[in-house]
Amino acid sequence: MIGVVLETLLYIIAYPPLWQVLIVGFAGALLVAMVAIWFERKAAARVQRRIGPYWASPRLGGFMTIVADMIRYVTQQVIIPFTVDRLAFIVTPVAVLVITILPLAFVPLSPHEIYWPVASMEYSLLIALALTTLPPLLTVVLGWASSNKFSVIGSLRESYVITAYELVAILALLAPAAATLSFNIAYIVEAQHPIKWFAILNPLAFLAAFLAILMSTSAFPFEIPESEHEVVAGPYTEYSGILYALNMGGGYIRRFIYAMLVALVFLGGWAPYTPGSGPLTGFIVPSLIVLIKACLIVFAMSFLRSVYGRYRLDQALDAAWRLALPLALLGLGWSIVLAYVNLI
Amino acid sequence: MKESPIGTSSGGALEGRRLEGMIVRKVERELYEVFIGPQHPGSGHMRIIVRLDGDVIVEADPDIGYVHRTMEKLSEVREWLKPIPLLERMTIIDACNVTLPYVNALEKLMDKSPPPRASYLRVLLCEINRIASHLYGMGIFGVFLGHSTIYMWAFGDREVFVELAEILTGARLTHTYPIPGGVRRDMPQDFPEMARRAVRYMRRRLEEYRKIFVDNPVIVKRLDGVGVISKSKAAELGIVGPNVRASGIKYDVRLVEPYEVYDELDFEIPVFEEGDSLARTWVRVEEIKQSLNIIEQAVEWLERHKGEHIIPVEDYNKLPKLHKEVYEKTGRVKLLPIHASMKIPPGKALARGEMGRGEIVYYVESDGGTTPYRVRVVTPSARNAMVFKYIIPGHRLMDLPAIYGSIDYFPPESDR
Repeated sequence: MIGVVLETLLYIIAYPPLWQVLIVGFAGALLVAMVAIWFERKAAARVQRRIGPYWASPRLGGFMTIVADMIRYVTQQVIIPFTVDRLAFIVTPVAVLVITILPLAFVPLSPHEIYWPVASMEYSLLIALALTTLPPLLTVVLGWASSNKFSVIGSLRESYVITAYELVAILALLAPAAATLSFNIAYIVEAQHPIKWFAILNPLAFLAAFLAILMSTSAFPFEIPESEHEVVAGPYTEYSGILYALNMGGGYIRRFIYAMLVALVFLGGWAPYTPGSGPLTGFIVPSLIVLIKACLIVFAMSFLRSVYGRYRLDQALDAAWRLALPLALLGLGWSIVLAYVNLI
Repeated sequence: MKESPIGTSSGGALEGRRLEGMIVRKVERELYEVFIGPQHPGSGHMRIIVRLDGDVIVEADPDIGYVHRTMEKLSEVREWLKPIPLLERMTIIDACNVTLPYVNALEKLMDKSPPPRASYLRVLLCEINRIASHLYGMGIFGVFLGHSTIYMWAFGDREVFVELAEILTGARLTHTYPIPGGVRRDMPQDFPEMARRAVRYMRRRLEEYRKIFVDNPVIVKRLDGVGVISKSKAAELGIVGPNVRASGIKYDVRLVEPYEVYDELDFEIPVFEEGDSLARTWVRVEEIKQSLNIIEQAVEWLERHKGEHIIPVEDYNKLPKLHKEVYEKTGRVKLLPIHASMKIPPGKALARGEMGRGEIVYYVESDGGTTPYRVRVVTPSARNAMVFKYIIPGHRLMDLPAIYGSIDYFPPESDR
């Protein structure tokens, strides 16, 4: 009897939209963002010979500090200045969050068709990448809606940076598609089975993707659009409370979504593991493997903050067009060579 | 029509002669005016009004005076010794350097000179302060460039020298150490060993700083060729301190007009020719090394000359028995109450010294009363403030922190 109930529950949880978009996508992204922030602070503290978050929960290494921060953001007063465009000011951060998570509805986290949130995965990589380009546009909108000079400068910088680096990110992430001659992420993942990962076969594209994601999601030393000592908080200068938290968390969640894509197309998705057919072994376990790989990528990105300084905007753009773009194109070319010699 | 307080309407004979930058002016249509400060994470207690053409700064107006505390006027209503703890507040991170010339000026007026041991102790504290001040500036500079590690490292290592100063003087920041004719207390027995350990530690750390910050490719790219002050411009603007030495001018008060015992010590004045932000950073790093050398020499001298007086002998002879006992037992000088209301012979005195940020000049005038008639202070930051107006234009907005941080401008010191 209990077995039947459990199995029913399992099937309910494994309903793809629920599991993939809400649990892995939304709750998972929130958790990963929190853990990433905590890890970033702890790792940076280690390098900088400090302790970092500690007293809120010494046994958890101060993780509760992040939770307390979240509670503070949620309960804090939201100040909406008179001068802003109210509708855009309030709606945009929420829209950013929703649209940021949307690409997850178009990626397969299981090889079995029944566990896909959409019927066909034929063009999943293209659609997911197209959706990842939407949130930065809204960042520009919210900077404009704030009617603050620093916000305008910040969103202008954002538009420069994303023009340069999203292109690189997309080209680099399309490299595996060129090698496998398919936009189907499920197929790309299967092609990498068990250890023919594209990160190993095509390190150039992987490096370009890593760099471009760091830049286009404004990870800490690369947060040119919101660098504190020039433009206060960039597009988010006028925001406070939960709306600010949505914006700030938005960056981490975007990084996480990108990391999911990288984990799928470069790190072999659920690769060393061969999924079974039940909901547990066929869907939940593979998706958790992808989640953990994505987590590791986000952690690796967080670690860079303690080593590097901030590039100047023109230097960052210079690096994009002269270094990252050729790197991505080389990766793409190498993928075509891989496809030609039938290595995959 | 009511006139606006800082309006553009008729100002009579003063029209057009008011301070540039304080007048409400029309901004040209295509320019974008941004107010960096005073409540801005990257400004300190000042404001730079920046006019942008796209991303390029075409005009920069430093707007100072937000932390003006009437130091000069307050000094006039205090008895002779009391301005010392007051004037420290201008640059609390460089407290001995900022008050020493005042004390020197008083000594000139009183025709007193400190015994050598007191001079060495003063120099020792001055160099400890200089290192702490440079580390402070470097940390702030690092975080301006988005390099949080150097910020934490520099502030953490500054603590070593702050504590060293505490062991020597009893206070972390506001030492009030030099008094006319000497210093307030002698160094503790175990101080030389601690100082040597701190010096060894800092030398090792500087190597790590070089690896992560000064030679970091990203930082070098941000600083190289940015905010160049040419040799002639530096001379023309009259800037001082590490900034002028980074532009190729060998000017240091310790060199041109040695005070205390600087002429007996063996040290170099680092000079760089480039005049850009990177050179200014390097000058500070090199100066820290030189200060470490001076600390070693001073400590060695002090060890060799144990038991010498730290106040003039005639002052010592005037002390009552109890005060003499305290002085001999603990090395502390207990000032007599008479010092609070002492009178200083009429006269004028000028004294200068080299702070971490540059040359500080005191002009002290006495009319024979219990308080100074006039105390004029010219601080290094006040002389460096003008530089922003001339070197920032032409750079990009993101270069502003790279220049501002490299000048190591300290508003409370500048505004006095």
